[in-house]
Amino acid sequence: MSGRRDRRSRLASRAVQLGFVASVVLAWYLATAYGHINRILLPNPVNVWHELKDVLASGEYLPDLRVTLTELAVAFAISCISGVTIGYIISRSAFLIRVFEPLLAGFYSVPVILFLPLYVLFFGLGPESKIALGTTISFFPIVLNTIAGFGYVDKIFITAARSMGASDIQMFRHVLLPAAFPVILTGLRIGFTVALLSILGSETIASLAGLGHHIVSLAEAMEPARMFAYIAFAVAIAVLLNTVVSGLERRARRT
Amino acid sequence: MSEPHRYGRYLARHPAWVRLAVILALLMLWEIAARFWIDPMFISPPSRVVASLGELFGTEGVPGALRITFGELAVAFAISVAIGLAVGLAVGLSRFGSRSFMPIILLLYGIPQITILPLFILYFGIGPPSKIAFGVTHGIFPIVVTIAAGVQNIKPILMTAAHSMGANRWQIFRWVIFPHMIPTFFAGMRLGMSGVLLGVLLAELYVSSAGIGYFTQMFTQAFDPAKLLGLISVLAAMAIALNEIVRRAEIHFGRWRME
Amino acid sequence: MSTAAPAIRIKDVSHEFGEAGDARFVRALSHTSLDIGRGELLCLIGPSGCGKSTLLNMIGGLMPPTSGTIEVGGKPVRGPMPRDIAFVFQENALFPWCTVLENVKLGMVFQGVPKAEQEERARKSLEAVGLKDFMAHHPAQLSGGMRQRAALARALSLQTEILLMDEPFGALDEQTRMILGEDLSVLLSRSNKTIVFVTHSLGEAVFLADRVAVFSARPGRIKEIIAVDEPHPRNPAFVTTEKFSRLRNTLYELLHDEIRKAVEQSATVGPGE
Repeated sequence: MSGRRDRRSRLASRAVQLGFVASVVLAWYLATAYGHINRILLPNPVNVWHELKDVLASGEYLPDLRVTLTELAVAFAISCISGVTIGYIISRSAFLIRVFEPLLAGFYSVPVILFLPLYVLFFGLGPESKIALGTTISFFPIVLNTIAGFGYVDKIFITAARSMGASDIQMFRHVLLPAAFPVILTGLRIGFTVALLSILGSETIASLAGLGHHIVSLAEAMEPARMFAYIAFAVAIAVLLNTVVSGLERRARRT
Repeated sequence: MSEPHRYGRYLARHPAWVRLAVILALLMLWEIAARFWIDPMFISPPSRVVASLGELFGTEGVPGALRITFGELAVAFAISVAIGLAVGLAVGLSRFGSRSFMPIILLLYGIPQITILPLFILYFGIGPPSKIAFGVTHGIFPIVVTIAAGVQNIKPILMTAAHSMGANRWQIFRWVIFPHMIPTFFAGMRLGMSGVLLGVLLAELYVSSAGIGYFTQMFTQAFDPAKLLGLISVLAAMAIALNEIVRRAEIHFGRWRME
Repeated sequence: MSTAAPAIRIKDVSHEFGEAGDARFVRALSHTSLDIGRGELLCLIGPSGCGKSTLLNMIGGLMPPTSGTIEVGGKPVRGPMPRDIAFVFQENALFPWCTVLENVKLGMVFQGVPKAEQEERARKSLEAVGLKDFMAHHPAQLSGGMRQRAALARALSLQTEILLMDEPFGALDEQTRMILGEDLSVLLSRSNKTIVFVTHSLGEAVFLADRVAVFSARPGRIKEIIAVDEPHPRNPAFVTTEKFSRLRNTLYELLHDEIRKAVEQSATVGPGE
C-alpha cells in the first residue's frame, strides 16, 4: 500500500474507533435521559461522573484500595519467590522437568477460583484467604515460565561456555540467568495480572473489605451511580497496574 | 548391571510412573496431615471426602445444581464459539476492519470483567441467564482474538499461489483460508473453554442464594470441609474433562501443522 | 611437516551413541588414529554423520570417546582445556544479550584473566578480524559473516595453541565464505596455531588446509589423508591453479560414494555427528 493511502486508512480507522466510543457514550446518555430505563440498572452518565469526582475527592476509596494493593503485593511476593526458586530447582534436571512440568501445567488448567471456598473456610473472610488464592493462582505461570526459561536455554550457549572453562557459578551468572531472564519476566507479568484478577474476584465473592467488596456492597445498597463510579475506578487502577507491569517487562527485555 | 540400577534407568525413561508416585505421595501427605495435625473443622482427609460423596449427592439440590452448571457451561460455550467465530472472521478478513476494531476488542479484553459481575446479576437475575452471559463475555474474547490473528497469519505466498492458479474469492476461502483456519479454530475453542469455565464458575460462586454458590456457602458456614471438598472436586473434574475434550480435539484436528 | 612431538595425538578412538541393542544405537566413529603436528591446519571432511564433529568435540574434551585415547600436548584429554583449546562453532554461539566486545571478553572472564588485560586482548582480536567499529553492537545487529568473525575473535583472544573450528562458515553464503576463508588464511599465517577445521566444502578444505583427512560414511574412519603442499598465507589465485583443481577432484572422487552411502543411511534414526 502506498504511503499516502496507508496514512489515510489509518486515520479512517482512528475515526471509526473514536466514533464507536462516542456513539456508545451518547447512546448511554440518551437512554438514561430520555428512554425509560430503570435508574437502578443504568444510571445517568452525568451522575456517575459526579459520584466519581466525589469519591476521588473525599478519598473514600483509600482504605479499600490499600487492602486490595496489600493483598496483591503479599501474594505476588510469595509466588514470585517460591515460583522462581522451585522453577530453578526443577529446571536443573531434565528428568525433574519431565516429571513436574506436565503435573504443574495440568494443575494450572483447573480454574483455581474453585479453591476460594476452601481458603475462606480455612482462613476466614479476611485478607489471608485472598492472599492465599492470589498466591496459588499466580504461582503457576511463574514456575512454569521459570522452568521454561532455565530449562530450555539453547544448548550451544552452554557448550560454548563449557568449552571456555566456565565454572558452575559463572555458567549461572553469565549464561543461564541472562538467557532465561526474558522468559521469566513474562511469567512474572502474567503472574501479576492473574493475581490481581483473582484478588478482585475473591473480594467480590467473599470478603469484608477491598475494592471488589465495595462494589458489591454498593450494588446491594442500590446505589448504581456510585457503583458505576467505583467500577470505573477499579478498572482504571487495574489497567494502570497492568500497563506499568507490561511496560517494565518490555523495558527489561530490551536490554 | 545391579538391580536397583535397572529400576533407576526404567524410571528415567518413564517419568509417568514417577509423576503418579508424586501424586500419590501428595495424597498421602494430605491424608496424614488432615487426620493427625489439622483441626477437622478446616480440612478433611481424602478418604473422608470420598466417603461423604454419597452424602453429598444425597443432599437435596446438589445434583440439580451440578446439572444446571454443566448446562450453563455448554450453552455459554456454544454461544461464545458462534459469536466469536463470526466476529473473529469478520474482523480478521478485512484489513480496515481489523485496524479499526482490534484495538477496541483488545482494550475490552484487558478490562477486569470481575468488577461488573454484580451488574450482570442485577441485569439478568440470579438464575442461569446471568451465569451464561458472564461465561460468554469471558469466552468470546480469546476466540475473536485467536481467529482474527489466525486469518491474518495465512502466508501470503499461499494466497498468491492460489491466485496464480486462477482461484476466485470464494474458492480461495473454501480451499485456502478455511482449511488453514481449522487448527486455529480449535486453538481458539480451547482458550474459549477456559474463559467460559472461569466466567460461569465465578458467577456461580458469587450468587450465594442459589446454585453451586448456595452450597459452597452452606458447607463453609457449617464447617463441613468434607462436603465442600467433594463439591469442589466434582466441579474440578468437570472442568478438567471439558478442557481435555477441547484439547484433544485441537491435537486431532491440528495434525497437519508443521510446528 | 614438523618432526617434533605432535600437538594432538588421536589413538584408536571409537565412539558410539546409545547402547548396543537399543533402537537408537549409532556407531559414529570407528578406530580412528591420527597425529596432528604443531602449527598445522588439518581439515576433517566427510559425509554427514561420519563422526567428524564428534571427533572434534572429543579432542576439545567436550565428550569422552567410548574407547581409545586423545592426547593434547602430551597430556590425556579429560575435559575442556580452555587454556589450550578454543572452539569456533557453526551456529550462533555468541550470547545475544552481550555486545560483541562483552562476548569476546567473556571467555577471559571465565578464566580469570585480569580486567585490564581482558580489554586489551579483546580489542586486539576484534581489530585483527576487522570488527573494530562494531564492538558495541549486539550480535543480532550483525550479518552472519560478521558474527562468525566475532566468534573467531573470541577464540583468538583466549590465546590458545589449538583452535578447533566446527564448520564455522557453514551457515554463510558462498561469497562470504570465500572472503572469510582468505582472511582466515592471512590471520593464521601470522600465528603458529594448530588448527583442526571441520568442513563440508571441498574447495574450502583444499584452500585452507595443510592436510585433509577424508572420512568414510558411518561408522566413520579415515579413508585417506591428502597433503596440500602450499605455503601460508594462501594466495587467492591459488583457487584458479591446476594443482587446486587436481586436489579438489581427488577429494571428490574419494567422497562421492561415501556421500551417497550417508544419504541412504540418513533414513535411520540416530543423533547427528
